[in-house]
Amino acid sequence: MSTEHTTDHPTPSQYWKIAVVLAVLTAIEVSLFYINRELELGPLNAVLLISLALLKFVIVVGWYMHLRFEKSLLSRFFTAGFLLASGCYLVVLSALGIVVIRGG
Amino acid sequence: MTATAERPQTTIFRRPRSTTGLWSWLTTVDHKRIGIMYGYAAFTFFILGGVEALLLRIQLTQANSEFLTAGAYNALFTMHGTTMIFLFVMPVSSAFMNYLLPLLIGARDVAFPRLNALSWWIFVFGGIFLYSTFFFGTSLPPVGADGVSGNLAAGGGPGSFNFLASSPDGGWFSYQPNAGPLYSPGTAMDYWALGLQMLGLASLVSAINFIVTVFNMRALGMRLLRMPVFAWMTTVVAFLLLFSLPIIAVALFMVAFDRQFGTVFFAPTGGGDPILWQHLFWLFGHPEVYILVLPAMGIVSEVLPVFSRKPLFGYSAVVFAGAAIGFLGFGVWAHHMFASGITPVAQAAFGLATMIIAIPTGIKIFNWMGTMWGGRLKLNTPLLFAMGFVGMFTIGGLSGVTHSVVPSDWQQTDTYYIVAHFHYVLFGGAVFGLFAGLYYWFPKLTGRLMNDRWGKFHFWLMFIGFNLTFAPMHWLGLQGMVRRTWKYAPETGLEPWNVAVTVGAFIIALSIAVFMVNWWTSRRRGPKSGIDPWDARTVEWMTPSPTPEHNFTEPPVVTRLDHFWHLKYDEDEEGRPVRRPDADQLLERLEYEGYNPKSPIHLPNPSYFPLTTAIGLPLIFYGIIYHTSSWGKALIVLGALVMLASLIGWGMEPVEEPHVSHDQDHDDHRNSADFEPAEPEDV
Amino acid sequence: MSELAHDTAVSDHGEHESTGIENRKLGMWVFLSSEFLFFGALITNYLLYSNRGGFEGVYPSEIYDIPFTSVSSFVLLMSSLTMVLAHNAQSRHDQNGARTWLFATASLGAVFLGGQVFEFTEFIVIYDMTLSTNPAASAFFVLTGFHGAHVAIGVIMLLSLWGMSRRRGGLSDRQGLNLELVGLYWHFVDIIWIVIFTVVYLLSAPPT
Repeated sequence: MSTEHTTDHPTPSQYWKIAVVLAVLTAIEVSLFYINRELELGPLNAVLLISLALLKFVIVVGWYMHLRFEKSLLSRFFTAGFLLASGCYLVVLSALGIVVIRGG
Repeated sequence: MTATAERPQTTIFRRPRSTTGLWSWLTTVDHKRIGIMYGYAAFTFFILGGVEALLLRIQLTQANSEFLTAGAYNALFTMHGTTMIFLFVMPVSSAFMNYLLPLLIGARDVAFPRLNALSWWIFVFGGIFLYSTFFFGTSLPPVGADGVSGNLAAGGGPGSFNFLASSPDGGWFSYQPNAGPLYSPGTAMDYWALGLQMLGLASLVSAINFIVTVFNMRALGMRLLRMPVFAWMTTVVAFLLLFSLPIIAVALFMVAFDRQFGTVFFAPTGGGDPILWQHLFWLFGHPEVYILVLPAMGIVSEVLPVFSRKPLFGYSAVVFAGAAIGFLGFGVWAHHMFASGITPVAQAAFGLATMIIAIPTGIKIFNWMGTMWGGRLKLNTPLLFAMGFVGMFTIGGLSGVTHSVVPSDWQQTDTYYIVAHFHYVLFGGAVFGLFAGLYYWFPKLTGRLMNDRWGKFHFWLMFIGFNLTFAPMHWLGLQGMVRRTWKYAPETGLEPWNVAVTVGAFIIALSIAVFMVNWWTSRRRGPKSGIDPWDARTVEWMTPSPTPEHNFTEPPVVTRLDHFWHLKYDEDEEGRPVRRPDADQLLERLEYEGYNPKSPIHLPNPSYFPLTTAIGLPLIFYGIIYHTSSWGKALIVLGALVMLASLIGWGMEPVEEPHVSHDQDHDDHRNSADFEPAEPEDV
Repeated sequence: MSELAHDTAVSDHGEHESTGIENRKLGMWVFLSSEFLFFGALITNYLLYSNRGGFEGVYPSEIYDIPFTSVSSFVLLMSSLTMVLAHNAQSRHDQNGARTWLFATASLGAVFLGGQVFEFTEFIVIYDMTLSTNPAASAFFVLTGFHGAHVAIGVIMLLSLWGMSRRRGGLSDRQGLNLELVGLYWHFVDIIWIVIFTVVYLLSAPPT
């Protein structure tokens, strides 16, 4: 079954490297929080933080959850759920008058 | 069935073995039995909801009637709506999906038979939980600033029904903060919120099950675009459920937390935003509308071609229109909220989106008419109901489009015009379609035919009663008769039409009685149907009726759309269908082989664990309602333990016990070359 | 009757996966896609109330302990590493490795949960911010609480797998698929926390 695809999958050492990348990204996120406190980056802060979170999100989904290596049907389902949720709730939030991106 | 082989028991518990009697039904994982149970349970709730509707109508027959108190009226319309939507139309659609989906795609069962049983048990416990509010719940009137509860006390008053004092009374939409702790004290609304939570969980589990079934369990050659339309509509509905139920789950959790644990999400004094509830509710509630009507559209798309003796006109257009309706269904929710003060931009956008959704719906209606056009119609009961569906649904759809015009909608909001509209869609639409399906597939279920004359009598009674009930509501609403209000003054002049409406409602009730008598007598004494009573087109009729436990002795290898029809018919030079000379032989052979497989067929074994897992949920939810007492806490712990133990047992029990003599290679059969997927999916 | 060709394999095992994806795995992905809608609603709820001014009491955004939460976020992130290593070991039939990494994942999850219990206690006891202080506090507790409940269910599933893997012979192939499914669930809970950490903690704005 699923083990048939193992050859395409990353090796443990690659998993460790990915973890290092994730850790560095998290460190950047946390330092951005403090940099923003001093420098008042405004909307840039939000843009950077959300991009970093999305990057981590994609890395975990793509490699740790192996979605990159699976049949495309699975990523279609998964992306559909993500996009539908983002779209609907963005509309709800804007209809309720909430500015979604707040620059700290 | 004799076909199933004896197997050793590998678990520490003995597996249930009964094939007849109560235990066999309690432990079954057979999708057909589960479908039948869904159907009977849903019909029971249909009768309860119908009685509630009749009581409402009695109250409204006369101006200034004192038959019900305002509180009792609130309780009745709340339970009527909740019952008809969540406990009748949804589960009866689920009954069709359970029974038919595997048969329509040529499979032995759904992908997860035990999860399927779990869905059913959670549903039935959820329904019982919700209705147990009549025995255990309390619905206290809010006490106003001057210490007076007004006339909202459900109990007391002339002619009131005291048991209604324990029913939820916030409407099926439970707008906040009216249904919150401040204005609806007592436990009845908690029964409502948590009961719906259970029903939602049941549907979510089914949705996942059906999606995997459709994508993975199709017979060889059954490409997605060869599936019968009902299987397609089931798929669309499953996705709608999958994506809309989590939303209402969160919203219901928020209500339950507000009421039970002191959060202040919707508390107006604490800064909560009641409009958030409306967004979340309708974000679920509008897809829900399509969840209710799409299965009926699928049924009608099966019935019309068979009784018109023509293929469905524009199969792929019907399929894609259904998918488009499902997709657009997520983009129109705020048209339920035009009067709630959303911005003009949002009103324009949602108004336009609502108009757009009329396009795929219109495509379907024209395709259904195109199917009947020039067909040699067999005017049996299923066709009458299907035609009734098309007509009544069109009226409901058109009055729906009038709501997308915002200024017009402001005029109609909260009037009987809206009540007329959604009953034309959900009764004239969904319920007519579901009855078409009941008459059409009754032989599949029982091996007998329903009495056609009684069926036609049922149809005409229901058709007349339906229109007498709901057509006048259009003009009653436009004349200003307000929804959810228990009384109107004699000076309004609304009384004559209200009398007509009530008469219509009782005619509908009579027609349902006719149906029940017909169903019950035909089950026992109806003429034998044989394998193919309607000269059908789809593969579920390639197995004898009533369906054997293993569905198909040989799963069909499908070569084209309407596979079964093409096995029976060739075309002559002018493209007219000509019955093949060997068609009757084929039917005889299918009937014989269907009941007499050459080798034993292995089916998923029955299991106790779906039932016991589901029992844990109501225990936990009762515990949550009474969590302040020690026995409430004990119930939560007990329920959690029951669920945990059941899930452990479940996890240790294989779906299918290993077979005694046969195929040692069972575990790795999926890897063998025979089981390469038939073709990669393009859709 | 060529259309009814006898294919004994098909007649014996009606089930086969048309998509080539194992049923349970497909089901898990379908379920996870619906979870976006679940957590999306909770996050929406939080965003609506988090900095809406004018309520009494402490706002969660005023009392976040960013260094502490950063550490517990890091712990949860690293539990994804140990989870994927457990799955990798299982697929190489390295039963010892799978067992060890499963336990490590469960432990990291438990550490994260412990951090959440500590955080909640701190907020309630020291700052007097409870479930019913204001809608922002309600939204915070319910959002992070439901995430914590997901983590707790994940820990229970990991520990059951770990218990099974301690039996002689370790996990069978069928249970190996279970391990993969629990892994998918676990990573999903982790990515939800990635979003929560950014949106709720790092981007929190003071009440206006």
